[in-house]
Amino acid sequence: MPDANDTTNLLNFIVDRAYVGIFVINQKREILLWNQFMEIHSERKADTVVGQNLFEAFPELPQKWLDRKIENIFILKNFSFTSWEQRPYLFKFAHNRPVTGGVDCMRQDCTLMPIKDDCGEVQYVCFTLFDATDTSIYQSKLEKTTEKLRELSNRDGLTQLFNRRYTEEALEKEFSRARRYNNELSVILTDIDFFKKVNDRHGHLAGDEVLRVISQRLASGLRGTDILGRYGGEEFLVVLPETGSQGAQVLAERLRKVVQANPIKVEGESLTINISLGVTELRSNTAAYAQLIAEADLGLYQSKENGRNCTTLFQPGL
Amino acid sequence: MYCTNMALSDSADKTTLMSIQPYTEDQSDALQEVVNIAMGQAGDSLARILGNFVALSVPRIRLVTVKDVIKTVTDMVDNNAEISAIRQSFSNSLRGEAIVVFAQAGADDLADLMGYDTDLDQSAKQELLLEVGNLLVGAVINGISETLKTDLSFSAPSLMAERTPLDQVLVPEQLSWSHALLMEVNFTVENRDFKCHLLMFMTEETIDSLRGILDEFMDGI
Repeated sequence: MPDANDTTNLLNFIVDRAYVGIFVINQKREILLWNQFMEIHSERKADTVVGQNLFEAFPELPQKWLDRKIENIFILKNFSFTSWEQRPYLFKFAHNRPVTGGVDCMRQDCTLMPIKDDCGEVQYVCFTLFDATDTSIYQSKLEKTTEKLRELSNRDGLTQLFNRRYTEEALEKEFSRARRYNNELSVILTDIDFFKKVNDRHGHLAGDEVLRVISQRLASGLRGTDILGRYGGEEFLVVLPETGSQGAQVLAERLRKVVQANPIKVEGESLTINISLGVTELRSNTAAYAQLIAEADLGLYQSKENGRNCTTLFQPGL
Repeated sequence: MYCTNMALSDSADKTTLMSIQPYTEDQSDALQEVVNIAMGQAGDSLARILGNFVALSVPRIRLVTVKDVIKTVTDMVDNNAEISAIRQSFSNSLRGEAIVVFAQAGADDLADLMGYDTDLDQSAKQELLLEVGNLLVGAVINGISETLKTDLSFSAPSLMAERTPLDQVLVPEQLSWSHALLMEVNFTVENRDFKCHLLMFMTEETIDSLRGILDEFMDGI
């Protein structure tokens, strides 16, 4: 058992050398103790900051917010915390991952501990500051991976358009939103004319290439808020928020023209590809989002009947 | 600042007494008193930081099952209503977790109540929830540990839910315990939407150790 003197020396040593930032302030916000971690990372020796006002020594601190937090500790005698997740850092310190980091400076978790006198009044506040840079890097990697997986699970592998599941979910959301805010909503369903012939004559690889090119052309003809997905083999679904049937028809015609504008080159041959389209809009008696798809499909069927390479607006009673 | 504690009415004490089974009548009495004081201190701290009149419900102490927990929180907010929540662990002589559930309207009102700009960004709003949650939990923990003269420490708070329907926050299948000692109270700010629910869960072994601590406390009076 070490004697009291030894213990005090030990504690002093540990407080100074522990790889955690430790410093203490009094009610006037004057710094009373500044350990080695703080010295190294702030590049300020203890003898240059001890006795100084915390906010004068470090004007970059968020004074208004932090001062209020400190004052509450003196009044309420409560522990207080800050987390890198909400506030990345208190002090702008360099971190230990200059090579593998990817963040600008050290992420910090901080605990503010009241130190009371014998009467129970708070005399000092002790800050302990933990380097949370590693955790923050792992978390951000995890978030990026999750985001990538989510994105992948929404995409069609061949065309990179949204897949059927995602497109239907998006339509369902837009359907409820349009109902709630009384907005317009239209849907286009489109199908490549004689796509089977492309596959039969030029093979599936050529067919895939045609699908990719047409997907790009359709995407290029749309606006930022429109949602385009591959609905089936050679079928595409377009969701047009805040658009009525008139606007949707104009857009459908634009898509039809943009697809046929230039021949598509596959295996040295130039193919002119056309599409047929069906258009419908949300009406007061539209029961569910699926009805919009069914109506657009009827319009599409009519376009095929009318000789293909055209657009048909669904009319109730068609 | 200004804080009422309605917990001290006789009728309230009788109903809560009935529901605490693991303790003798004396132990239950003492525990209820300690919790009343601690929750009262938490309400007082909240009143000070908000500069507003805070009312608190009768603190309840019960041995609960997982199913009761869902019910006790749904009593405060609709089951499909959105809430935000923070959690914190406490350890040492008593072990458990504290959860503060904020009704969403109140959580949104917090910045204004605390005198901040109301157009705070997401992180700043989260920070306020953590700050207020920590204040309540810290005050209760301090109150209990000071009154019972026992050491308690607690962890940093973390965000448990944000704008989430209540039934997705406390999912019975994800809670691995069967029984816990629950101490709970509601805080409301008069004439404002602010409403939160403090839940302190103590583990089963803590239920036993608390018995000894309460006996020592009563011997010391």
